[in-house]
Amino acid sequence: MQSPAAPPRTAVAAEAVDVTFSYENRQALNGLSLSVAAGSIFGLLGPNGSGKTTLLSLFAGLRAPDSGSVTVLGETPSTGLRARIGFVFQESTLDPLMTVREVLAFHGKLFGMTGARARQRLDEALETVALTDRANDAVRTLSGGMRRRLELARAFLPSPELLLLDEPTAGLDPDSEKAVWAYLHERNEEGVTIIAATNKVSEADRHADAVAFVHDGRIVAQGAPPELKSGLKHDGLFVEGEFSDDEISEIKAWPEVGALRWSSPLLHLTVDSAATFVPKLFQAAGASVSAVRVHEASLEDAYFDVVGSGLDGDER
Amino acid sequence: MIAGPLLACQAILVRDLRAVLRSRSQLYSSLLLPLMLLAVLGVGISEGLEPSSSSIRDGDYTSFLVAGLIAMTALFSSTFSSASYYQDRDSGQLRAMMASPHPQQIILLGKSLAGVAIGSLQAIALLAIASVIPGIELEWQHGVVPGIGLAVLAVLLLAFILNGFAQLVASRIRTMQGFHLVMNLLLFPLLFLSGAFFPLADLPGWLKVFATVNPISYAVDLLQIAAYADGDGHFGIVIDLIVLGILTPTVFALGIGAKHPIE
Repeated sequence: MQSPAAPPRTAVAAEAVDVTFSYENRQALNGLSLSVAAGSIFGLLGPNGSGKTTLLSLFAGLRAPDSGSVTVLGETPSTGLRARIGFVFQESTLDPLMTVREVLAFHGKLFGMTGARARQRLDEALETVALTDRANDAVRTLSGGMRRRLELARAFLPSPELLLLDEPTAGLDPDSEKAVWAYLHERNEEGVTIIAATNKVSEADRHADAVAFVHDGRIVAQGAPPELKSGLKHDGLFVEGEFSDDEISEIKAWPEVGALRWSSPLLHLTVDSAATFVPKLFQAAGASVSAVRVHEASLEDAYFDVVGSGLDGDER
Repeated sequence: MIAGPLLACQAILVRDLRAVLRSRSQLYSSLLLPLMLLAVLGVGISEGLEPSSSSIRDGDYTSFLVAGLIAMTALFSSTFSSASYYQDRDSGQLRAMMASPHPQQIILLGKSLAGVAIGSLQAIALLAIASVIPGIELEWQHGVVPGIGLAVLAVLLLAFILNGFAQLVASRIRTMQGFHLVMNLLLFPLLFLSGAFFPLADLPGWLKVFATVNPISYAVDLLQIAAYADGDGHFGIVIDLIVLGILTPTVFALGIGAKHPIE
């Protein structure tokens, strides 16, 4: 298992077809279909509870679907196939009492890695995530960013072909987030397929080759970020203010307005052109407006446009 | 080179042993409690009640108590170690192990072997300490080395049974608090009815029935035969070995084979 026998490379790294999965009293996946190209960085974008984590656990073979089919690296997920898959969970799964080196050595042994080659891989992994000087320190003494880097190093130690990441940068500061993604891009350039579940729009927009919007256990749209944004109104706006129901109804009826969400005191909408919309807004309801922020239409707008609610789950 | 599943078991075993060695309070308290009982209960009953049972040699209850306290140490250390399953599950570490290319049974086997090793080592350490305490007279009727061998075998068989039993309970109980409650509820009566604290020979008939169907009785009997008794014990060495020899693989396999919740 130290270096998995070179399996036939497939064009599709992971695929789910019409998959359903239920927990005791909750339907988590509801006819979900998805295809992830080998060698890509794929973003699963959706709010908490949309089914992203469940889908990752199905890809890892930790759960089996109630119906439908799942294929990973050309095979049905199984215990043995996990030798070719790395998994970084949303919450930390590190033993705080172990040292950094012990964490990696233990994981290596679980994946059948022993001897000089394993020690060399371990040293390389420590160096790559810049934790060599902390190798003999207990995990509990590491910062959040260091722990995340250690979890990534652990997942990459057995040289997986597919890496599953659940909220890879949750709780990290911008510098740590940048370092994590730099590391992930390096591994992706080496040929590792990365599937990252996230509810951070900027993360998916900036780093993913393709993105799927997950909503209520289904994929509601899938494509490269520019494709997903291409059908949108050009500009996205956040308007702060106190609007009456009549004012909201009037704005919604304007032809240049696309998607609109009103959650007092924030009005989120997409429009053809902010330059013509904003003066019109002030003319119609200027007294209600306290601030306007304009941005180029983002993936969040695209999600909002397709799903009808934001990534925080608010309804339109 | 060790094969994958064995290497995984070994890695988990070493990891859990290391965790116990780093937890000094767990290490010391598991030995201090039986030693305290030996000093207080043993001396108190020997001097205060002057037991006259023929099973207690010269009224020396402290020496009689050694075998029972060894069984008690193995019993509580083994089951306490099994609770680390809950700690690993609740801290997410179990999920990380489950994401490796091994079935749940391999992970559980590694953890159970760690529990057996911890329980056995602590019980054997107690035997070693007790055997050098002045005033405690162990008989070693079959000789010191064979006696120690028999005692170690009894401790190992008991630890395997208890670990398997603990894993069976853990597969049914979702919380660590519930696990400890259920285990205490089950283990205390079993311990008291095993001959650990009083000779089975002098019990009334209805209590003897409970003692006879109690697996721990056979391990305590074997320990008494190995280190204390100067005869055949209550059941006899052959019966003890047959009962424990059948129960050990059965209960341990059932415990490891039981499907445990991973979240």
